[in-house]
Amino acid sequence: MRSLVPIALTAAALALVPLWLSDSDFRMGLALEGLLFTAYAIAFNLIFGSTKQLFLCVGALAGVGGYTAAILADRVGLPMLLALVLAAGAAAVTGGLFSWVAVRRSLDVIFTGIITLTFSLAFQNLILGQRNLTGGETGLLVDTGAGTILREPVPAYYVFLGIVVTYLVVFRLLQRSHVGWAFRALRDDEVAAELAGVNVPRYRIYAGLVGSGMLGLAGAFFAFTEGFISASTFSFGHVDIRVLVMVVFGGLGTLLGPVLGATVFSVIDEVLIGVGQLRQVVYGLVVIAFFVGFKHGLVPAIETLVRTIAGRMGARIGTKGD
Amino acid sequence: MTAVVLDGIVLGLQFGLLGVGLTLVYGLGGVLNLAHGQLAVLGAIAVWLAIGTGLPVLPAVVVGLAAIGLLGFLLDTTLMRPVYARRGDERVLLGLLLTLGVAFIIDGLLNWRYPIASLNISIGGDPISILGVRMRTGSLLASTIAIAAAGLLLLFFRGTTLGRGVRSVIQDEEGARLVGINPASVRNLIFALSAVLAGLVAVTRSMTSPVSASAGIDFTILALIVAVVGGLGSILGAFVAGILLGIVNTVSSFYIGQYITTIVLLAAAALTILLRPSGLLGRRK
Repeated sequence: MRSLVPIALTAAALALVPLWLSDSDFRMGLALEGLLFTAYAIAFNLIFGSTKQLFLCVGALAGVGGYTAAILADRVGLPMLLALVLAAGAAAVTGGLFSWVAVRRSLDVIFTGIITLTFSLAFQNLILGQRNLTGGETGLLVDTGAGTILREPVPAYYVFLGIVVTYLVVFRLLQRSHVGWAFRALRDDEVAAELAGVNVPRYRIYAGLVGSGMLGLAGAFFAFTEGFISASTFSFGHVDIRVLVMVVFGGLGTLLGPVLGATVFSVIDEVLIGVGQLRQVVYGLVVIAFFVGFKHGLVPAIETLVRTIAGRMGARIGTKGD
Repeated sequence: MTAVVLDGIVLGLQFGLLGVGLTLVYGLGGVLNLAHGQLAVLGAIAVWLAIGTGLPVLPAVVVGLAAIGLLGFLLDTTLMRPVYARRGDERVLLGLLLTLGVAFIIDGLLNWRYPIASLNISIGGDPISILGVRMRTGSLLASTIAIAAAGLLLLFFRGTTLGRGVRSVIQDEEGARLVGINPASVRNLIFALSAVLAGLVAVTRSMTSPVSASAGIDFTILALIVAVVGGLGSILGAFVAGILLGIVNTVSSFYIGQYITTIVLLAAAALTILLRPSGLLGRRK
């Protein structure tokens, strides 16, 4: 149970956000998008941070979920819950398939990245091309969810907070189970893990399946709360690049790194709205300055700092006691 | 059909020239330069600015390419240093992130300062008939430049001492150091060369269609795909992959239509990687 304390604290902190943002629908929208990206980042962290599979199709997998849910609920008329489950399933199967292929062909980081990148771009073109089904460039209005509390800023925020907390718990439970033990082993030294009897391919595919399912579910929920999705909602430039930066910024493979990274960059986005077109330049400068300075991300850096301070204080108390 | 294939080759030579710069930098330092396309566009805008000051096209191109080469050199000597200080996966990841930062900065600056700028060099003259197909002089000149660049590159890497030195660093950095080659200066040189090649692509591309300030990310992605399909580190591979993908592109866009074409192109690239993970002409590590 103790291992869930950081998650509870994070949840409590994030639950307070609407207290000072709820007077502005615009800012609540930004906060919700921050949580959406947090959810993406946790899922990406599970896949890349834990098992070193560089999935550059975060947006596309979320898009598989978003479009599947929207089309099944609106066109086919399935109940919302069923549509959500099927959407998550579709994304999980797609992502699991990539893991399976990558494992079978023993692709390294770069090649897994390129294969999934090609899927991202192909998916984008598929959405733009299949106008009748997806609305093409104009996007797709989603009717399911309209008129319910899902469309109100504050409840929608808490729905996404629920998703983020659930994902964090799943991540932590996986970390604490034999699966997490295998993840760590294969992250530190793949060959040694293999020799120690860890079935590396199987755990990679697990991570691919679960992480992609999470992405699909988040995308599907977003379709229902936002009421509108388009190709750019899930595009590589809009989603993948940001998620990669957030996760590496926060700390790859750590529990709270994705939350921290997504929060920091959401705040940066909000602050930089004033500078308009120069926003991207500042974003680039932040990325460079940060990665030259910190090697392993913010969470490990903070942990080291806390440990150092605690160590010094411990030493001082120790001498006083003498 | 011949016309479509010839168009594909024209396009493919550009693809190849785009991929070759990326492949060289990766082969040398393990850095996958995500700002490659942005450097290309920056080159195009530099040429556009030079033309704007009243320079004739040819000197303007020289000035623009020199500027972009210098920028490449500066990037490698400053920003890339911490990257080269790392090894293995860490180097790859840091290289990706820092060049991504550079891409953001270039894109942002261009979008801020020159949002609607685009380079469009029109080459006059009547169409010339090749294999019974009338080709625009712009396409022919662009292809000639690409072929000449490919030839010069191969000649440089196979025929000159400096070029062999570069290849020795690609094969074995430690070994090269032992025989007295300084990998850092070789990397500087190649990063600058890669930036010039990127700029050259934007210039030749602008002879057939305008290159806008926002085209950076498209160029980068295309370069990535071409370089990987050709085999990272292989110069000839990049050109072979470029030409094949160029032909696939024009043939399917002629017979099927634009959106599906991109999907066909991407599927072809993915399939090649899956069948030959080391690329068409790459060596297995």
